Amino acid sequence: MPEGPKVRALVVDDAGLVRAYYRDILERHNYQVDEALNGLEAMEKLLQDRFDFVIVDVNMPQMDGISFLKVLRRQSLPLASIPAIVISTEAEAHDSAGARAAGANHYLVKPLREDGLVQYAALLSGRPA
Amino acid sequence: MIFTETKRYYVERRMFERMEATGAGTFASYFARLRSDANAEIEQFINALTVNETYFYREDHQLRCLTSDLLKERLKTNAQGQSIRIWSVPCSTGEEPYSIAIWLLENWPEVDNHDIEIIGSDIDTRVMEAARAGIFGKRALMRLSPELIAKYFTDLGDDRWRILDDLRGSVRFSQVNLIEPGGPGLHGKFDVIFCRNVLIYFDDASRRMAAENLFENLAPGGFLCLGHSESMSRISPLFDVCRYNDAIIYRRPLDTRNA
Amino acid sequence: MPLIRKDPVGASPPSTPSSSAGDLQASSAETRWNAARRLAKDPESVAALGRALGQEDDPRVREALFTSLAYIQSPQAIATILPHIRSDDASIRAGALDALATVPDAVEKSVPTLLSDPDPDVRILICDVVRRLPGPLATQYLCDLLTVETHPNVCGAAVEALSEVGNETALPVLAQCADRFASEPFLVFSISMASKRVAGNGRPVGSQAV
Repeated sequence: MPEGPKVRALVVDDAGLVRAYYRDILERHNYQVDEALNGLEAMEKLLQDRFDFVIVDVNMPQMDGISFLKVLRRQSLPLASIPAIVISTEAEAHDSAGARAAGANHYLVKPLREDGLVQYAALLSGRPA
Repeated sequence: MIFTETKRYYVERRMFERMEATGAGTFASYFARLRSDANAEIEQFINALTVNETYFYREDHQLRCLTSDLLKERLKTNAQGQSIRIWSVPCSTGEEPYSIAIWLLENWPEVDNHDIEIIGSDIDTRVMEAARAGIFGKRALMRLSPELIAKYFTDLGDDRWRILDDLRGSVRFSQVNLIEPGGPGLHGKFDVIFCRNVLIYFDDASRRMAAENLFENLAPGGFLCLGHSESMSRISPLFDVCRYNDAIIYRRPLDTRNA
Repeated sequence: MPLIRKDPVGASPPSTPSSSAGDLQASSAETRWNAARRLAKDPESVAALGRALGQEDDPRVREALFTSLAYIQSPQAIATILPHIRSDDASIRAGALDALATVPDAVEKSVPTLLSDPDPDVRILICDVVRRLPGPLATQYLCDLLTVETHPNVCGAAVEALSEVGNETALPVLAQCADRFASEPFLVFSISMASKRVAGNGRPVGSQAV
């Protein structure tokens, strides 16, 4: 396969080890990964750089993942339409419904395994897994 | 940079502040972070070491942003004839508020159509005395062209210059404590606040308080400029983040509900 | 000259408007915000701030209420913030936790109870407050938790906190946790990283030349 520009993912989670875990997996699958510690930092990065999708936690300081998605979906296009996977420890139905209502494309529950992450990353970026 | 033994304490203090800011529990883990340059820590560390060095036209990309974008935005919502209010806090020895004044006079075509009020504040009354005196050394002026220096300063000899009385008289200086709870709402609302390289010195609780104070001193829709390597993102969710050419600027949202 | 200077009239600057607890119920968000902020200086206002917190729907005013309660720091003030980390609204959870995280020492007394809370999400969130306590104390709390914890996500949060503040006394507990959760790839990964970091965290500051 020809080497095109890498698909860029922004991983948003306040836990450094979680970010490192996702980064490790995604980089092994040839994604380019950047990190943000909360929703506000993610907005700053998204306003300055181009990303193909975001992976976002729910419970984070300053700006939680749900508030982040609401702010993101209010931006101008194309930024507002960037696909988002929410990965949370909150496993109840209303958590998932709330995330989807705020603009999540997928809602996954932690702990996440490699195949799950890769499958959804591929789905959102339009690549074969 | 060369540090003598007397500067050792200073360096150590700045390093502890960065360790605190990055959550590094020990020197070893902070050192590892520096070595890997995680989150551009090298630059942050250097900034922390040099933070007291201030000079005219420092971080002039924000001044450019002020005249190319921010003031235009403010004029959209300000009433006709309303004066434009700009706050420099902390103002230290005055380089920043005077820079803003000179920059506006030089670079804003609309400058003659508006009343502009610039206030400089600092917690340290001694530096503000120096700001009022308006006498600067060579280093402070290093970024200004000879033409600008000739236009706005009087050469006092001995590598010292005094800023013109017109400018000295037009900037008001006042003491303020950014982290006082519920304060400092003494100066009314500002269109733009420059608050650069000071939040890094506060602990988490004080930073939050400072963020609320800054928010309260901004008019709805007003702008907050932080230092180049600073971000509101780990301090407070109160502000919107805006992207302009060359600069990330924070903004008090326009639509405060029920206000 | 377009630059103008308006000096305050009279000798003393206008004083900050005083606010009463009643202003927390005002219809204007600006008035409520002002009241929430001014009351930070009044330790007697905890109950009023708490009542307002339960009703407030403007996120900015809520933020100020949390900040003022955290500033007051009394046990009642902390107890007033704590229930909100169980909110169904993620932004309220974040607001409560951010406020608590600024005053870890004031929260410490509640830490043992909170770390044995039946709700795993509470245990996860509290790990973030524990992380801000002094290293040896935090290490002790987190190791105690990790030894008995059965929920992988809570272990993940504890390991995360240990990786930042822990010292090498945590190594055996981390190893034991890795054994128990050998089928959880994330935990295996993060414990391996945390163990490396923790092992390097024991040296005293300044023992090494830059």
